[in-house]
Formats: sequence, structure tokens, C-alpha cells
Amino acid sequence: MNLVITPTMIGQVVISGLLAGSLYALVALGLGLIFGIMRVLNVAHGPILMLGAYTTYWLFSTVELDPYLSLLVSMPLMFVLGVLLQKLFVRHVVDAPGLSSLLLTFGVAIAIVNIAQLAFTSNLRSVESLTGSFALGPFAFSKARVVACGFAVGITAAAFLFLQKTRLGKAMRAVSQNREIAQVCGINVQRIHMLAFGIASALAAAGGSLVAVMVAIQPGMGQVYTVKSFVVIVLGGVGHYPGALVGGLLLGLVEQLSSLFLTTQVNEAVAYIVLVLVLLLRPTGLFPGRSQ
Amino acid sequence: MTLTGRTLSAGLVAAALLLALAAPAAAQGPIRIGASLSLTGADAKLGQYQREGYEYCAAEVNESGGLLGRKVEFVVYDDQSAPATAVRLYEKLITEDKVDAVMGPYSPSVTETAANVTERYKKVMVSPLGSTTSIFRKGRKYVFMLVSPAEAYLEGLIDMAARRGLKTVAILNEDALFAKSAARGAADVARQKGLQVVFREAYPRGHTDFSAVLTKLKALNPDVIAAATDFDDAVAITRQMRELNVSPRMFGVTVGGDLPEFYSLLKQNAEYVYGATQWEASLPYPRQREFIEGYRKMSGREPVYHSAAGYAGCAIYLLAVRRAGGIDSDKVRDELLALSTRTAFGDYRVDQDGFQIAHKMAILQWQDGKKVAVWPDELANGKARFPTPPWGQR
Repeated sequence: MNLVITPTMIGQVVISGLLAGSLYALVALGLGLIFGIMRVLNVAHGPILMLGAYTTYWLFSTVELDPYLSLLVSMPLMFVLGVLLQKLFVRHVVDAPGLSSLLLTFGVAIAIVNIAQLAFTSNLRSVESLTGSFALGPFAFSKARVVACGFAVGITAAAFLFLQKTRLGKAMRAVSQNREIAQVCGINVQRIHMLAFGIASALAAAGGSLVAVMVAIQPGMGQVYTVKSFVVIVLGGVGHYPGALVGGLLLGLVEQLSSLFLTTQVNEAVAYIVLVLVLLLRPTGLFPGRSQ
Repeated sequence: MTLTGRTLSAGLVAAALLLALAAPAAAQGPIRIGASLSLTGADAKLGQYQREGYEYCAAEVNESGGLLGRKVEFVVYDDQSAPATAVRLYEKLITEDKVDAVMGPYSPSVTETAANVTERYKKVMVSPLGSTTSIFRKGRKYVFMLVSPAEAYLEGLIDMAARRGLKTVAILNEDALFAKSAARGAADVARQKGLQVVFREAYPRGHTDFSAVLTKLKALNPDVIAAATDFDDAVAITRQMRELNVSPRMFGVTVGGDLPEFYSLLKQNAEYVYGATQWEASLPYPRQREFIEGYRKMSGREPVYHSAAGYAGCAIYLLAVRRAGGIDSDKVRDELLALSTRTAFGDYRVDQDGFQIAHKMAILQWQDGKKVAVWPDELANGKARFPTPPWGQR
């Protein structure tokens, strides 16, 4: 009994890859925003996602708030946390030499995870709200993942529109392109930095609230998203925000297809291999030329 | 009145007996048993349970007059779940504290390193929770195994499948030492029982999205899916099997399927799923009830398998000492090698390496929110619901 890979199977796996990829894009957009604007690689991005997931869990288990409605709580909450992190810590290392900012966010990440472990214990939690799947032709669609994808795409699109169309968004992009000139033009750079950190954390929180319905929640769940987000922004091109969407979907696809054609064991390695290859061959990302 | 009088006099007699027994025990000084346990660190919770098992064992034997007329006392240190620390602590227990005997630490990796020390000093060490086969296959003479090895976890599931005439099995495992051994064991048993292993795949630790591998399994449509898991992946696989409508006639996991959280997370999706367990409070073992009640009274909680293993490991050591008539390592070793018994933890008998060959894993199935032991027959307290119906009908 040999396994024959049929087009239907490939289709099923492509669907899974795109569904997972849309979440990667949502989360990576936040990481990319901070990196683009401050040149700070926020290792605490994943742990903030974890806090978002816990917010959803506690609201669900105590007052039975719908996990999707909990986005309205988790996103503002993490926005505030992001602003505070920027104001209290990250501000001091934005222009510091070398690895200072990386070390700082690394420390913040470890602190968040350990505090979560103390406060919530490492018992696994889950939000059992939308289970099962629906069929469309020969393909099965996980309800939770489809809805999460819908929200991810919606929130990502809203973030893009904000960056492209609003005055504030334009100011953010201006700071990202050239901080000095932006400052000379009268943009309050400190405020933009805080805002960017807040928005990025809110995006991570959205990711957390959405995955809360799909996977087990525990304090260590976030770190893997930091790494994946990093791969996504490298793929998409640093500072090139729409690239995050393409990069996210691409990573989702590559992961799933490699699991199908090779073995699930390579799943984790694939992200890193892609990272190394892109850095070696196309260090500006797959979509260079239009840094904004 | 007569009743009270009788109880009173019975109490007095018992008290007098206890005093009589306690007197020589105190005179000779206690038998001190040393152990290092994972009381903090990664395995803190489980190490605590094991310690309570040890303490209950000591309390029980002291209540009935002690061992060879002497009290039993545990000297326990915290190895912080770190193998290197355990080495230092066993060294200290044996050379500085000069304990009379030692018992095993918690995890397989700590046991592996601690056994080097106890072996060097020729101290018998019963290891209640060292479950890795290799610990006992290195020519060590003084270390004894209590639990079933990882390879045995899925044996029951495969045996049940074979007896029901199923033909094909797919095996998944987490890419970790324990899960790999369990998967290998399952594949071996499947071949012995004439089942065809149509698929084997490992996945990395902490993996959450199983859609690709489950898509492959759906296409292969095996009769049985056996998964060597940790807890969170067991939950994720079950959940995604439902989402992708992968519905084998039997589906079983190793670790995780036996925990109450498995059901509280998955609810009706856990129905019909098989899990494997070393010990369960409901199994019909001798003195099981006394152990559970006594343990509950002492610790204020229900015993888990780690508690029961700690208790039984200690009890078996004490039994061997009693038979040997003293704590001389070589004499106790001979008794442990020859011993064949059944405790509250199940059967005990080891081969010449001290490797456990009698203890049975039990297979549980979730039925209406309860764990029912369905294998082996002599331990079963219910019948397996077979075959597993399609997802919509669970």
C-alpha cells in the first residue's frame, strides 16, 4: 500500500497552508512594523501573542465571551502594553549600538513568559468554541481556521489601509524611511514609535486570540511565532509591508507542502532553510526595489 | 455501650502492641533510605507525587511495626530535575549521610546518571519511574525497573486491533526519545501480530499543525492510527482528525490520553479514543483501595501513577529486604531478581538485567466522559466500543 499523492491531497494541503499563512502574515506585519520604523527586532512579539491568547481564554472561561469578540479586548489591552514597553524600555535602546535592542527585547520576552508561567501555570488551556469543519467538494475546511483567516486578512488589510491612507500612517512610513527628515518635517518621532509598538502588539494579540481557538494555550506558545514572523519579513522584504502578506502565505505553503511531499519532521527546519536561502540569495527579500 | 467498650479495649491493645513494637525500633535506630527527587524544575510536580508515594510507604511500614523491627525513614534531596545535581546528591547520600539504602529519582535521564553512582557503590536502587530500556541494558547489576518500558505503551492497542481482524496500522510519533521507542515498539508488535504498518512518520516537538500528515493518512485510510504523543500534540491530532474527517476504526495515543484534561479539552471528540496508562486507580490490584484512601488522607489529593509507582517501588524494596533478612546489597539484589509479586501498582518481575517484564500497561478508552480500562482482559472493567463510528456520530 503505497502512498500516491493526488491533486486533491495537494489541494487540501494548499488550503491548510494558506489558512496558516494568513495568520503568519498578520503576526509578522507587527514585527515588520517595529523593525521597519525602529530597527528593533522585537523578540517579545511572540510572548505578546501568547498574552493575547490568554486574554481570550480568560474571557471565554470566566464570562463566556465569544473568542472573536474578545479581539475587542485583547487588541486594545496589548496596544497599551506595547506602548508601555516602548515608553519604559525599548525607547532607551532604539539607537543604541550593536545588539542592545535585541538583548533587551530578549530579556523582556523571557520575563513575560516566566511571569505568565507563574501567574497562569504551564497547564494547557483551550478555548473550545468553534470545532469541526465543513466540506467544499473534496476539501475539508476547518471552521476555526477559516474564520481566523477571515479575521487575519481583514485586520491585515485594515492595517495596510491605515498605513497607506491616513495622515498618521503616512507619518509612520515617513519615520520608517528617514527619521531625521521626518522629524524636521514636524513629526513627533517618539509618539510614532510608541504608536508603532502599540499597533504591532495589537496585531500580535489579534494573532493570539485567533490561534487560541485552534491550539492549546500555554506560556511557551508564542516563541515559535517570533521566529516565523522573522522569516516572513525577511521573505517579504524588510520595510516592505505588503510583502508580509505574500511572505506569510508563502511560508504557510512551503511548510505544508514540504510536510506532504517529504515528512512532517522537516516542517520546522523548512522555515530556517528558507530564511538562510533568502538571506544568501536575495537579502533584500523577494520583492525588493520598493522599500517604503 | 458494649460496642464502645470493645472499641476502647481494642484500641488499648493496639496501642500496647504499637508501643511494644516501637520500643526495639527506637533502640536500633531507623533504616534510612536516601533519594534525590525532582522537587523543583521541569518535573517538579511529578517528583512531588513520587515523594508522597515514598512517604506513604514509610508511614505504612512504620505503622505496622517497621522493617526488621526498625523504623524506616526517608532522606530526600531536591535535584532540581537536573541529572548532574542528582549525581552529586547520591554521592553525598552514600558517602556523607551514609544512608542504609537508596531509592530511584524521578525521570529517566536523571535515573540514567544517578545509576552510575549507585552502581559504583554497589547500592541496590529500585527505580520507580525510570522507563527507558537502555538504563537497564548496560550491564548494571544493582538497578531495578518497576514500570513498563516505552516500547510497551501501544502494545495493547495493536493486540486489540489484531484480535478484531484489523489489517493495517499507521504510526505517528513525536520526535523524542520516549515517543520514538513507543513507536518502534508498536511497529514490532504489529509485525508480530500480522498487521501491516502502512505508514510511519515523526513530527517535531511542539508541532501544532498536523493537516499535511493527516491528509496523507486520510488517503491511506488505515484501520488503526497509533500515535506516540505528548499531551498537547495528542489533543491537536485528535482535533484535526475531526476537522479533516480522518476516521480510522481505532485511534490511540500514548501519553495524554489518560489525563482528565484530555477529555475536558476535547469533550465529545475524545469519545472512543484509546489511551495507555501505567496505573489507574480503578484497576483491580491488591491493596489498591487501602493505598488510595491512605494516600488521600496523608496528602489531601488523589494519587496519580507517579505516586503509586513511588509507593510500590519502595514497598517492593522493603519486601526484598524482609526476605533477605537484612539490607546487605547483594542479598537484597538476589531477592529482587527472584521476586515475583503483585502490588497496588501491578505485577513485578524482572529479568537478569533488572528489566521489568511482568508489569502491564493498561489501555483505556473514553466512554461517556469516563475512562474505561479495556485491555488486558484480566484488568478490564468494561468492553471496548468498537469500531469507532464516523465523527458525526460520536
